[in-house]
Amino acid sequence: MDVHLLHLAVRWLHVLAMAVALGGAALVFVLAAQLAASYEWVFWLAAGTLAMTGIGNLGAFGAGLPSPQTGWGTTLVVKLSVVVLLVMLSLPRTLAVARLAFAAPSHVADVLRTLYAFTSATFALVVAIAIWLAHG
Amino acid sequence: MNGDPPQRLVTWALATFHATLFVVASVLFAYTRGGLGSLLANLNTLVGLGLFAALWATTFLTTQRALEGIDVLGTMDDRAFVRRVFRWGAANGMAFLAVLAVVFLVGSLAAIPAGSGPGFLLFAAFAAPFALVVSAAVGGAVGAVLGVIDLGLVRLARRLSAENN
Repeated sequence: MDVHLLHLAVRWLHVLAMAVALGGAALVFVLAAQLAASYEWVFWLAAGTLAMTGIGNLGAFGAGLPSPQTGWGTTLVVKLSVVVLLVMLSLPRTLAVARLAFAAPSHVADVLRTLYAFTSATFALVVAIAIWLAHG
Repeated sequence: MNGDPPQRLVTWALATFHATLFVVASVLFAYTRGGLGSLLANLNTLVGLGLFAALWATTFLTTQRALEGIDVLGTMDDRAFVRRVFRWGAANGMAFLAVLAVVFLVGSLAAIPAGSGPGFLLFAAFAAPFALVVSAAVGGAVGAVLGVIDLGLVRLARRLSAENN
């Protein structure tokens, strides 16, 4: 298999998963809290895909990966730290949705708007950092 | 997948949370200590993707077993939960080692010259029990740590949903 084609495919899958995760969170926040339970299934699929393809993207650097002491490296550390925070704070959101969506669907909109706003904003921050890493 | 819709979503979320947090935190740790570049240099992209997919799959299967009969969204015995994730974390460590061993053995057998296979296989057979014990210990420890993190996040989720119910 052509290595460049593989790396390109991994990058596109990474971008697609990010678009689904960020766009979905924004959609649930703005339009339809009733979609929250469905979004949570997709969110974790996207999160796993992002982790998998993210490692693949780093793998394309190989031994040429810049050191963590460089500006690029420090930014990558910040990005990975934000991702850890986002993943950790997404689990309570999913569990709260699972608890409310099936027991008291009418209350979902109240509790989750803030959480989806936070998720969208954090994803937007990760995207901004990723763009800087790719082109900065 | 077994269970009612909320339980299935909880299993899927917890399994992916465990696999993702473990891998991203490990990458962050290795990178800040300068060991990631050399590791990536020895890792083919396809193999890396395949190993993550394998870890995701084994974590999902073991999380599914660990949560059998446990109502994460309702009331549960915290100690029993941590014991269960420790035990199934150990099982996950061994299952992932088995996947690694297959990849390593197939790759090594393809690379070694014809006629020198039996010695290599004998070494692998000798090392396997020790590797299984180590993988179970590491898997159990990681499972217990993630179980404690889960408990904190479950409590946060209960507060979030209770305040708005």
